[in-house]
Amino acid sequence: MGNDFVDKSRILLVEDEETLGLGLEFNLTEEGYEVIWAKNGKEAAQFIRSAEFDLIILDIMVPYLDGFEIAKIARREYPRIPILILSARAGVKDRIRGLELGADDYLTKPFHLQELLLRVAGMLKRKAWYKDTADQNPVFKFGRNEIDFRDFSCVADRRQFQLTFHEAMVLKYLIDHRNTIVSRKDLLENVWNTSSEIETRTIDNFIMRLRKYFEPDPAQPVYIKSVRSVGYIFSTSEDE
Amino acid sequence: MKKRIGFLHPILVFIMAQLAWLSLLGLWIYWYVSNYIILKQVGDNLSPQIITKGANLLALIIGLIMLVLLLWGMYLIFIFLNRQINVTRFYDNFIANFTHELKSPLATIQLYLETLNLRKVSAEKQEEFIRLMLKDTYRLKNLINSILDMNVLEQQKAALRYQVYEAGDMVTDLIKESAEKFNLLESSVKISGNGSCECVFDRANMKTVFDNLIDNAIKYTEGEFELAVRMRCNEKFFYVELTDRGIGIPAKYQKRLFNKFFRVYQADSPNVKGTGLGLYMAREIMKHHNGKISVFSKGKNLGTTFRLQFPIFGRTGNRYLKQLLKKTQKYEKEQDAGHGE
Repeated sequence: MGNDFVDKSRILLVEDEETLGLGLEFNLTEEGYEVIWAKNGKEAAQFIRSAEFDLIILDIMVPYLDGFEIAKIARREYPRIPILILSARAGVKDRIRGLELGADDYLTKPFHLQELLLRVAGMLKRKAWYKDTADQNPVFKFGRNEIDFRDFSCVADRRQFQLTFHEAMVLKYLIDHRNTIVSRKDLLENVWNTSSEIETRTIDNFIMRLRKYFEPDPAQPVYIKSVRSVGYIFSTSEDE
Repeated sequence: MKKRIGFLHPILVFIMAQLAWLSLLGLWIYWYVSNYIILKQVGDNLSPQIITKGANLLALIIGLIMLVLLLWGMYLIFIFLNRQINVTRFYDNFIANFTHELKSPLATIQLYLETLNLRKVSAEKQEEFIRLMLKDTYRLKNLINSILDMNVLEQQKAALRYQVYEAGDMVTDLIKESAEKFNLLESSVKISGNGSCECVFDRANMKTVFDNLIDNAIKYTEGEFELAVRMRCNEKFFYVELTDRGIGIPAKYQKRLFNKFFRVYQADSPNVKGTGLGLYMAREIMKHHNGKISVFSKGKNLGTTFRLQFPIFGRTGNRYLKQLLKKTQKYEKEQDAGHGE
């Protein structure tokens, strides 16, 4: 995959199973990525603090710190880093918890190698896209809200707070496609890179949160409106 | 759904059934007494021969017997219902735990097979991949075997090989065998105390117990491995204590440690792979020996002690131990007869 952004990508692999780790390291290296392999939670946290990565592949059941904790640390240090969870836990609850904590994707073991590699490539591509657009238009204002897409800091109604990576990505996608209808499927495919039906509820949760942050009255949204049985549309009065 | 299960809790059902039974019994006696008086009056007026005292007492007794049978039936239903509920609960747990354990080695095997399918891999790498795949195939095999072993133990279908042994010698032998199996340094295992008393052991099963305990001690020791084995005989019992210098077991988990499929998962402890069956098996085997197993740990990083208690042959629980020996003899005879055919 001869793209520049792929060649230089550094991936942090967090996996405590020796045999599985070796196989993943081999395959990712073959794809042209630089792989750093952490065998437990402590090591992973150290790596995250000492160097910047383009992507994290994360097992949940690792010693010392579990995957969810590592995801939290990674998000704190680098709000924009994509995280792929790779776990034997296949329950819907675990998947939703992972996605809500800021993982971008969730693959269950056993997995297909090619699917994993495609998802990794897709996530890195999206990260590059995001970086480009965010650098061109870092600050977006609507109504009494202001968002800086470089560090996800927001001022809404003079209240200052921080968006999570996914909240920012959903908002960014809606803003980039403003005045057009965005379906839940679009959001799942472009923000999370999955097309699984299970997670559509997750999308609605994110929209609800964004409305709470930015809408003067979340029950009667002005900016992020629902389009019944299709999806959502973002518009501001300034556009009209 | 949950509310319904709460309402139908077996103990609640049992209590309600008991109340129903008691009121039925009360009603029956009340009916008998009140009717007896009326019948007696009627009978006395008409003809004293028709109703005799004996027949009436018979009716009361038959009625009472029926009611007792009813109670017995209820009791049986309650026991079997409870057993069924436990089986179902266990089954759900089993599926969740066991499939999770199976997935990891399976993921590895699939990954390497797909790698070999997708890429041109050098002969050297190929060899390495095959070695790693085999390693996880063995892991799968061991997992499945442990389930089968457990089944054999639970169904009591295992070969019976109970014999009277000198306890100290037996334990020393088993510990040495385990140490060899796990490649332990001789200096890391210290055996002390006095084991000069006689106990009844099933050697093969006791080996499983000691292997499981020592395997755990190794897995849960982070620094240098050290195991102290202390033996002691008193009037009635023989005790063995195995103390390691491992990470210890928090008090809140100690009670549940011997439960089937129970595993301690703590974020700050090393992730040890296992089935959650080893200590369960140990406890079951000890039960079969009429013995006990218990655990002590002062806390984190302060090591763990497992204590085994066996009845001394000829001193305690002799009837049970003799039964074990008799069963073994019978089993051996059957085996001999089987071979003779």
